[in-house]
Amino acid sequence: MNNIFLLLPLYFLSFSNIFSHSQKTTANTGTVKITFINTVKGKPLELNTGNYTNPFGETYTVTKFKYYISHASLAGAQGVVNDDENFYLVDESKPDALHFSFTIGAGNYNSLNFTLGVDSLHNVSGAQSGALDPLNDMFWTWNNGYIMAKLEGRSPQSKIINNKLEFHIGGFMGENNVLKNITLSFPPGKILNIQPGKTSEIIMEADIDTWWQQPNDIKIAEHAVCSTPGALAKKIADNYSKMFRIKDVLNN
Amino acid sequence: MKTGIIILLCLCTALSALLIGAAGNANVKFAYGNLPDYIEFTIPAGWPKPPANIFAKNKLSEQGFQLGKKLFYDTRLSKDGTISCANCHQQFAAFATYDHDFSHGLNDQHTTRNAPALFNLAWMKNLHWDGGINHIEVQPLSPITSPTEMGETLENILIKLKTDTAYPKLFNTAFGTEEINSQRMLKALAQFTGSIVSSNSKYDKVLRGEAKFTYAEENGYKLFKATCAGCHKEPLFTDNSFRNNGLEINTFLNDYGRMKITGLPKDSLTFKVPSLRNVSVSFPYMHDGRFYSLGAVIEHYRNGIVTTQATLDPLLANKLTISNAQKYELIYFLNTLTDTSMTKNPRFAR
Repeated sequence: MNNIFLLLPLYFLSFSNIFSHSQKTTANTGTVKITFINTVKGKPLELNTGNYTNPFGETYTVTKFKYYISHASLAGAQGVVNDDENFYLVDESKPDALHFSFTIGAGNYNSLNFTLGVDSLHNVSGAQSGALDPLNDMFWTWNNGYIMAKLEGRSPQSKIINNKLEFHIGGFMGENNVLKNITLSFPPGKILNIQPGKTSEIIMEADIDTWWQQPNDIKIAEHAVCSTPGALAKKIADNYSKMFRIKDVLNN
Repeated sequence: MKTGIIILLCLCTALSALLIGAAGNANVKFAYGNLPDYIEFTIPAGWPKPPANIFAKNKLSEQGFQLGKKLFYDTRLSKDGTISCANCHQQFAAFATYDHDFSHGLNDQHTTRNAPALFNLAWMKNLHWDGGINHIEVQPLSPITSPTEMGETLENILIKLKTDTAYPKLFNTAFGTEEINSQRMLKALAQFTGSIVSSNSKYDKVLRGEAKFTYAEENGYKLFKATCAGCHKEPLFTDNSFRNNGLEINTFLNDYGRMKITGLPKDSLTFKVPSLRNVSVSFPYMHDGRFYSLGAVIEHYRNGIVTTQATLDPLLANKLTISNAQKYELIYFLNTLTDTSMTKNPRFAR
């Protein structure tokens, strides 16, 4: 008789497990934090105030700089470990949106892989929340799809109204798909070590100077605006897919 | 004692089942006893299955539908508080704008395309004349934020809804908590608009054996099947494709239709084939509302087609052969597609 009463709490426990899917911390996991430093030619980006020159001698300022990171995973000796398919919107104007963290198995890792952009499924799945909330001003309302990366500013070389510089880069279908799968190795001699219950950090740099060339020359005088999916967006995305490098790894 | 424990276990199982059921709906976490009344979306007999289940991740409920309806009729969704969705989508006009080529937006501005009728949206792969909208839930973002339509920002709308006395409670009954966010607002709107089904016109009754066509309607139906059904496919009366039907370009608009979305020259001047259901109450016609009568539309297909456009639909290359008598029979038939059980249904009314 008493045995049945002893079993009752277990009965509840078994169901409560179903609802605890969001936190999967176990004894053998730690946290990786990825911190983004947006730069121009290696120097930290100064939103609104910094004056910059691209490889063609054209000058510009930056007023907005945002991009989506998703499907981040780490690879080490034990294979590839994925995060929980979260989407992160890196936004230079918000200090809280310049880093993100996820739980991962303890161990050593030597490369980071992620998608720059929002996968095609999430472009066609209706109203989303969190980083994908249309409130974030990264969703095209007239030609549905996410803006994967956004760079706005001013340039005297721009022939558009108010000398605007406006790159809204998106497109998730066909030959002009701008989704980029990016794999980065850690600096020579560095590995990421995740200890159970502790947080280690990857410091990442994203340099705007890469947007203008290699492989495609993008001159502001010719292209100050890109706001639709297409060949130009693809060219700019091909350039910016090389903007990241891992600057440092801080193990804890 | 033993019986008591068994009953207790049964109760626990039932409670757990309820909680799991609620958790299965992606964004909904209901407290026990607070579940909305879920509704089954019915596909009319003989109709194809929708290309995707629009309610798969937005479980249709009476409370969600009612919240969506309130939002649809709420003028506060516009910047100056004068324009609701229903301004341009009027129920008596099958949720198109009655007697207007272009609808009126903020500050006496005009839209640049004719407001489409809203029904049977669950069967549409994409929305708008150019197909630029890929999911029913995100469609409202377009008119809400368009400077010539409702001209408002999502941020402001959410503030208005959160500070309202009624909305937090309605979001609670529909979604389980009082939280108001863009996703819930858009899902509620989709529950309302996606529920509008038109399947009970005279034509439908004839097919079900509940009514009979007149002699003229019957002749019109035969002509329709031979001449029009290539694009306006039964039972939805559209094949949801994009086609160039040979309209002379309107040089005020220079609207090249779907090419704006795809960037492909082959899509130049193509627009979505609209359903012909309720067509007699949803005039004027075409993407720019240039024709005010069905007679004018048929006249276009008989004599008006511009046959020199490279992307003209091959089905129209030789124009359509329709005699004067057939023209009127066709109109008699098209009139049988009006479904007053939808256009006058109090369930969809304010």
